[in-house]
Amino acid sequence: MNGREAGGIAGAIGAARAEGRTVLDLWEARSVVSAMGVPMDRAVLASSRGEAVRAASGLGFPVVMKIVSADVVHKTEVGGVRMNLSGDNAVGEAFDSMMASVRQKLPRARIRGVLIEEMVRGTELIIGSSCDPQFGHMLMFGMGGVFVEIYKDVSFRLVPIATYDALEMIEEIKGKAILDGARGYPKADRGDIVRVLLAVSDGLQRHPQIKELDINPLMATEKGVIAVDARVIIGESGEGCPV
Amino acid sequence: MRMDGPCGRMLRDFFQPESVAVIGASSKPGKVGYAIMSNLVLGAEGQLGGGFRGRVYPVNPSGGEIFRHRTFPSITQIPDRIDLAVIAVPASGVLGVLDECASKGVKAVVMISSGFSESGEEGKAREKQVVEKARAHGMRILGPNCLGVINTSNRLNTTFAKKAPPRGPISFVSQSGAICTSVIEYSSEEYMGFANFVSIGNKCDLDDADIIEYYAEDPETKCISIYMESAKGGRRFYESLKKVVTRKPVVILKAGRTAIGAKAASSHTGALAGSDIAYNAAILEAGAIRARTMLELFDFSRALAYQPPVMGDGIAILSNAGGPAVIAADVAYDLGLPLSHLSDDTLGKIDCVCPPTWNHGNPVDVIGDSDLARYSAVLDILIKAPEVHGIITIVGPQAVMDLGEVARAIVEMSHTTGKPFCASLVGVVSRASENYLDEHGIPEMEVPERPVRAMKALYHRGLYLRRRGMK
Repeated sequence: MNGREAGGIAGAIGAARAEGRTVLDLWEARSVVSAMGVPMDRAVLASSRGEAVRAASGLGFPVVMKIVSADVVHKTEVGGVRMNLSGDNAVGEAFDSMMASVRQKLPRARIRGVLIEEMVRGTELIIGSSCDPQFGHMLMFGMGGVFVEIYKDVSFRLVPIATYDALEMIEEIKGKAILDGARGYPKADRGDIVRVLLAVSDGLQRHPQIKELDINPLMATEKGVIAVDARVIIGESGEGCPV
Repeated sequence: MRMDGPCGRMLRDFFQPESVAVIGASSKPGKVGYAIMSNLVLGAEGQLGGGFRGRVYPVNPSGGEIFRHRTFPSITQIPDRIDLAVIAVPASGVLGVLDECASKGVKAVVMISSGFSESGEEGKAREKQVVEKARAHGMRILGPNCLGVINTSNRLNTTFAKKAPPRGPISFVSQSGAICTSVIEYSSEEYMGFANFVSIGNKCDLDDADIIEYYAEDPETKCISIYMESAKGGRRFYESLKKVVTRKPVVILKAGRTAIGAKAASSHTGALAGSDIAYNAAILEAGAIRARTMLELFDFSRALAYQPPVMGDGIAILSNAGGPAVIAADVAYDLGLPLSHLSDDTLGKIDCVCPPTWNHGNPVDVIGDSDLARYSAVLDILIKAPEVHGIITIVGPQAVMDLGEVARAIVEMSHTTGKPFCASLVGVVSRASENYLDEHGIPEMEVPERPVRAMKALYHRGLYLRRRGMK
């Protein structure tokens, strides 16, 4: 098992619905984003310390470890994210302390395991979607990190978008010079970003059950853009985003 | 002649009826029903040629004559087919009147009356009944709580506004009646001509999408302008806007951008304004142009209605005044309106007609002592320069150049090219010269930043057409 998750969008949504959840866990969210055709980093789901260690050495160090639980909304706040782990011992210890921390802070959280991910370095971008009651799915693009949090440097379009809409979404971003390699940032290929925006737009249009979707960050790297984290929220059964 | 399908026909009746009944017509000055009759029969102030070209029938149970038109106690007693009924009776009487309209076979109703969804639960319930009745009888309703329609070509004017706008290529639809009357006032001041004018009110039936789809088909309309606080169906409005923008430029002043503005809008119209982010996305994606202020709505509409789009990346600013040219260049930069990088060829040609102290760049400052010959020689060079796709002419008042002459030269030379022009005679220096430019389709504004914004609207339209391979 590697970066390509099985089951697809309907499978992930069905699994959540079967448990009465509207929040998809990280593994399910990744499978949704991946099935839309968005390139993702390599990652393995591990449910024990031993599996985590094996997965990490399989991927190659350093790795990232993230908690996989639909009940954890903010992973970092419960000690559910560890970066830059190198070596079997570091991974093993991180597994134990992450489990202890999450169980202590959210005793009732259903924990599916941890995700062991390759470390991807690059420029952080963000793609998001929310549902407007009047206009339906909206697609957001921006630079990640402080650019989105502090400067709100993002652009919006309604789903579905065309290629020139995707290009305009990138053009409207004030920090777009960074994508062209300003200040030593790696250059990002706009065509790659456009393809991801179109893929997400298409995926959302096909799946009105999805109410919110975030790819944060989408890493722009020398080798292309790669989704590194995903969050998906679906509507209650029978309820979706107006089209 | 009625050749369109059933829906087209009904919308046609709102703009091009042959006969109009005014229910609630009054012979007492100061009443709404009097003002409507006066506008229809005599024509509003500023309405050249007098009143409506079709037949007008006042309806009022008290009988008598209004402006020499015999009054009928009920619409059903009018011995003529009625294409459009204008209802201006108190809200409590509206449902009864609608029944009479239905039995008369009227398909188009302008409902001026207020006291509906904008005014509490009782009004909301009444509006619902109005809609049900209209659906049952296949009637379309504009309003309620509106001013109705002005069509400047047949001089139909169902409003009780004091003035009518001059005739021209802009068609306007507004959710606010007060914005309509302000626009009318402004349009007679600045040269801004209208083909059609709709105050849409509560949009219980006809909404912005219906109106702009009609405007898209209307041969007199060159630019569509919208004032809106909320769309009735966001998605439907977006789809219709997207279709209309492929045919004609659309400028939208969508108010309620901020949380405070949105709250004011929802208490104003009784409609919940959707998320501004979504509206903005819809406007951008449809290729329409968003105005943020009334002045922008006016300036963008004038430019788009009277001038062609900018079909390349680069405009030139020509000025005999240094300061205003610098302001214009700053605003162009802020707006992302690219200024042409003048070629060596163009610079060389300008060298031949300017003193050596000219600034050798764009904006092109031909210096304060420029006479008409120098100004027009440079204008001619810029018109012919392939790297220039639009020209902003700025003229600061001075003693060596007659403003009337320069205005005439600009107009004359603008006819030698398909490139768009916007102008500023800085300050309110010569009404006659300003009007001359405006009347000849070159939007003139008294401060230099405004023609830059207007040119940006033309650039936006050009970009839209170029990106979609439409020109």
